[in-house]
Amino acid sequence: MSDIVVSSRVRLARNYEDIPFRGKISAAQAEECVQRTLDALRDLPQAYSFLPLRGMEENEKKALVEAHLISPDLMEHEENGAVLLRDDEKAAIMMNEEDHLRIQGFAAGENLKTAADSAFFIEDTLQKHLSFAFDPQWGYLTACPTNTGTGLRASVMLHLPMLTLLKQMGKVNQLAAKLGLTLRGIYGEGSEAQGNLYQLSNQVTLGRTEQEIIQAVTATARQMAEMERVFRERAWEKDSVAFEDQLFRSYGLLANARRMPIKEFMAHWSNLRLGAAMGKLPVSLSACDEMLTAAQPAHVRKATGKALTDPETDACRSRIIRSAIAGA
Amino acid sequence: MLCEECGKRPAEVLMTAVVGGQSTTKNLCRECLKKYKAGDLQAVLAAVLSAMADKKQAPEITCPSCGETYAEFQKSGMLGCAECYQAFRQELAPLITRVQGRAQHAGRRPPVSEEEQARQSRIEELRGLMEAAVADENFEEAARLRDELRAMTPAKEGKA
Repeated sequence: MSDIVVSSRVRLARNYEDIPFRGKISAAQAEECVQRTLDALRDLPQAYSFLPLRGMEENEKKALVEAHLISPDLMEHEENGAVLLRDDEKAAIMMNEEDHLRIQGFAAGENLKTAADSAFFIEDTLQKHLSFAFDPQWGYLTACPTNTGTGLRASVMLHLPMLTLLKQMGKVNQLAAKLGLTLRGIYGEGSEAQGNLYQLSNQVTLGRTEQEIIQAVTATARQMAEMERVFRERAWEKDSVAFEDQLFRSYGLLANARRMPIKEFMAHWSNLRLGAAMGKLPVSLSACDEMLTAAQPAHVRKATGKALTDPETDACRSRIIRSAIAGA
Repeated sequence: MLCEECGKRPAEVLMTAVVGGQSTTKNLCRECLKKYKAGDLQAVLAAVLSAMADKKQAPEITCPSCGETYAEFQKSGMLGCAECYQAFRQELAPLITRVQGRAQHAGRRPPVSEEEQARQSRIEELRGLMEAAVADENFEEAARLRDELRAMTPAKEGKA
């Protein structure tokens, strides 16, 4: 758990050398891709669940996307898409996404190394039995040449409320771009980053080692976190009562509202996490981060077990939030 | 003028993308510009591909393994199979260098198989024997060993 870096993830793109990529793959070959992966991973030490997307309830798929365990792209390819999900949700292997395999490792806080180790362990296990498309010059070959090389994308989720509020995101974006990294909002569309949550990740995958990529993302994330901390402290020193007032207003709303629409939630959640990170509100960071996923639309629907009309969803969301705050 | 990316909305912005030291300009609508601003490397690839496609006719190459044509790749930015990288090697090389900024993989490699390990150690053994034969002035034997070595080293290693 960290005051600014919410979570870390690493994904590896891998393809079998004898099976065509997505544009040219047949249904039988896609099935073969799933089967050989499952066979090779049968002896993994942790417990995993195999979830084919075909026949999966729509809301279930959306919940997996909300939890960032599968990509929206995989959800759209339900004919032969599947995921093998570690039961503790620290790793997941997507099958028949843009590449045959997208091996993912996850970790809370700023911990790309742990996330990478989880992914590499799965890759090593697979490579005991199978071989991936590899070129001495271009590394691991991928459906799109923009992923070739390490096939690795390292990303961290950053909570940057003060940099956003004080209109510093342009500068922060430049910092990322200069280093070949990219920063984008995680929730919401276009320029608006709901919850002030951003994803920082590497763009280039060829010619840098896995360690170099991970170090670059980690070092930049730390730099951004430091900038954010400075702005938090300055704002506090400037007018602590106004600052606290904002935090407690959001806390009061989330702790008491009886209907909470998603957009409103995201705005106040950001203040809640800010207050928790600064030790000003009686909520833990872990409660904040768990609540973030639990309050997303498909999760709320899943919790009630039935399709809800919007006002009911909002009422249910408010209950989830209130109990999370009370429990913390 | 219509957006050169989607071809649907009117173009409002002239974008210059500098990738791998070379710049590409493109007239874009605001929607498509967002994709570039988000640092979407695939969008950059698409821009480079279409800029190249404008300049000259797509080379008429077809991947012998999956049947993907180079023109198809220029349109979608997606290759059909691993073999496409060999079939389109000449065309892909400058493109990959431009988009990725580098041309040579660094980092993890697949483990070497037992077969490959055996092959490598046999090559070393043959080299040693050949040198010994030359030292002994046993040139007939050395030539035989040299031919055996050649047969064991595929064209792949010739580049290195």
